Amino acid sequence: MQGWAGKILDIDLTNGAVRTLPLDMEMARLFLGGRGLGARLLWDLVGPEVEPLAPENVLIFAVGPLTASGAQTSNRFSVSTKSPLTGTGLDANSGGWWGMQFKRTGHDALIVRGKAEHPVLIEITPAGVQIKDATHLWGKTVFETTALLGQDNQKRNVLCIGPAGENRSRMASIMNDGTRALARGGPGAVMGSKNLKAIVVEGDQKNQPEDRERFRFMLYETGKLIKASPITSQAYPEFGTAVVMNVVNEIGALPTRNFLQSQFENAELISGEHMADTILVKNQACWACPIACTRVTKTSHSEGEGPEYETAWAFGAQLGVSDLELIAEANYLCNDLGLDTISTGSTIGCAMELAEHGLIDSSLRFGRGDLLHETIRDIAYRRNLGDELAEGSYRFADSYNASEYSMSSKKLEMPAYDPRGMQGQGLLYATSNRGACHMRGNMLGPEVLALPRLIDRLAYQGKAGIVAVHQNAAALVDSLVICKFTNVAVAEEYFARLLSAVSGLDFTAENLMRVGERTWNMERLYNLREGFTKADDTLPDRMLNDPVEEGPSAGYTVHLEPMLKEYYAFRGWDAQGVPSSKIEGAGIG
Amino acid sequence: MDPRLYEEFRDIGRDIYVVNLTSSHGGNMSVRVGDRIIIKRRGAQLGRLKPSDFVETSLFKKDSGLIRASTELIVHRNIYLKTSALAVIHSHPRTAIVLSMSRDEIIPIDNEGSYLLHKIPVVAAEYASGSQEMADVVADALSEYKVIMLRGHGSFAVGQTLEEAFHWTSALEEVCDIILEEHLMGETLKEYRRHSEAYSKW
Repeated sequence: MQGWAGKILDIDLTNGAVRTLPLDMEMARLFLGGRGLGARLLWDLVGPEVEPLAPENVLIFAVGPLTASGAQTSNRFSVSTKSPLTGTGLDANSGGWWGMQFKRTGHDALIVRGKAEHPVLIEITPAGVQIKDATHLWGKTVFETTALLGQDNQKRNVLCIGPAGENRSRMASIMNDGTRALARGGPGAVMGSKNLKAIVVEGDQKNQPEDRERFRFMLYETGKLIKASPITSQAYPEFGTAVVMNVVNEIGALPTRNFLQSQFENAELISGEHMADTILVKNQACWACPIACTRVTKTSHSEGEGPEYETAWAFGAQLGVSDLELIAEANYLCNDLGLDTISTGSTIGCAMELAEHGLIDSSLRFGRGDLLHETIRDIAYRRNLGDELAEGSYRFADSYNASEYSMSSKKLEMPAYDPRGMQGQGLLYATSNRGACHMRGNMLGPEVLALPRLIDRLAYQGKAGIVAVHQNAAALVDSLVICKFTNVAVAEEYFARLLSAVSGLDFTAENLMRVGERTWNMERLYNLREGFTKADDTLPDRMLNDPVEEGPSAGYTVHLEPMLKEYYAFRGWDAQGVPSSKIEGAGIG
Repeated sequence: MDPRLYEEFRDIGRDIYVVNLTSSHGGNMSVRVGDRIIIKRRGAQLGRLKPSDFVETSLFKKDSGLIRASTELIVHRNIYLKTSALAVIHSHPRTAIVLSMSRDEIIPIDNEGSYLLHKIPVVAAEYASGSQEMADVVADALSEYKVIMLRGHGSFAVGQTLEEAFHWTSALEEVCDIILEEHLMGETLKEYRRHSEAYSKW
């Protein structure tokens, strides 16, 4: 194969039917793969009448044309589905080895429909596709399941859910290669609802570039850029993503104690620098990745992977906890039980605030790190208060008539940037199609790190266009499918040349940015069809009405309304945020 | 940041840009303050520096400062670790860059240049921006010379102050302008210095 394998594997767990469908190459040209292809397929496969946890929902695992080519970070893949947490179209994205190995089975995507009568696993190998009984694995944790199924990074790769997915926590992740996560939006609950415990892949095919000489040259060029960027060659390898902890805290944008404050007095203790000085054993890379941001860590009691920035924040500043060992162990637990760390931490933070106000009967309080691990277990196994927390912060708080304490947008918990100190990030959260998310075009780049240029983080006029362009670029990177950290150093013009070399087709940077925009509009149309409106493009009241009290962002709220107006206009949508219902060439409308 | 130190950064940065020693967003500067480095942030315009355009980071230990600092922080840090420099200026002097692409060393032919610089070595690195390889060759060269050229990229100059490093940088470009203009005139030079051949061994 050169770029695309040309095949989609389609499995119906209800009747055990396995089909291979041809990939529509026009669709592939328009949406590439991964998130874009998933969004386009989801439009056809899952309508508004389908409940997220019903058998009629689907899971679409998709790779991209660069996957397994050897291009830097070409190891990733995505899953698309209707989210049980948000009700929106969802895609979640993960690295490691599984995506590369799935591509080597000779498929561009795997659609899983229906519901098995009992727990099963899917095994895809050169010998064929099998649906096997997995009753003996049900109840096992992620680490146990991954080991039992023979995980071998280079040859045989395991993707599975843990107890949280089996118990349909709306914050359940799907885990691959043991410690990598398709985390946000609860895709693990959809997998659990289908009685699907695991998908194992072994491949023997290669994604060989059409123009090998040009491909080698482009690898050299992109490699130079990655090596030259201090962020990709030093900051992430040495300190992991938590290298931004002190920086975000310094500018007054580190959400603290459920976003009551925007600076954490103990930020240094949960920073990447402190991690490097204390619990870090080594860094580690996904397949074909020269950056190696993964943290392999060891505490007094345990060892594992993480935490990265968002997790260190979610179990740290968000809860008023500064014990890095305890935070790392919470991360290991979430990996093993199959939980999204951001939503889990933020939901516990929401519960802590409710308990502080006496709105729930619980011992949880800000700073009570001693209760953290047991609370996480309770969420995964739906025990005690954990059963309520497993619904996510919005549903949990709303059940106490206190939804304003949920720091979420479209019911997805906001990650580790207080948008009052980063106005563009506020617009990003409010307009993100899968709910509040930093991976849809993180404004940390232009608003803090000067990537590609520094803009005033507290200004709001003129932000909308920058946010939209970053969103489109993120959608493109997710559709190629490669790691966003590559995009820190490498621009779209390089991706276009890499893709041209691999596929033998001509792509330009402008073509690719259109793919990003098309994907974004596709997702937006999906959500509108689900009943979402402009009213859902919003943020918690606290972000809109309660100014930051102290620090460099003091006095600021998010000026959402003027940014939103500008944003709709920039995207060419009408005043209600509705795009033209026709997407050029995409077969809808 | 000390307001007077900021003013020095601002004024020297403005001068570097005004006299065409770099493009609008090129070049960077730093000073060593004890065990810390204060360096221009990545992407800030040298000719329009504001107090918020600086990053303070550890000299001996990497920290989060490196995600906002100039891309060449690794080089600046290496220079301070390997030399006694207290200030570093990196710029893109055009004539010097042209000469660096065909020479392994630049030997001044004018009196002032010979007196001040004697010889400017040209070093090369495959990854000529922000790499450890580059940081090593530049810092090694600056342990012997006060200003050096990185082939096809630009100059690095050291001093006890920014003003001193600026002096070597502007002197370098003057040296190179004179060499270029002499070359364009094509006239035979009259040697006026004793032991001029020794400059190549400087």
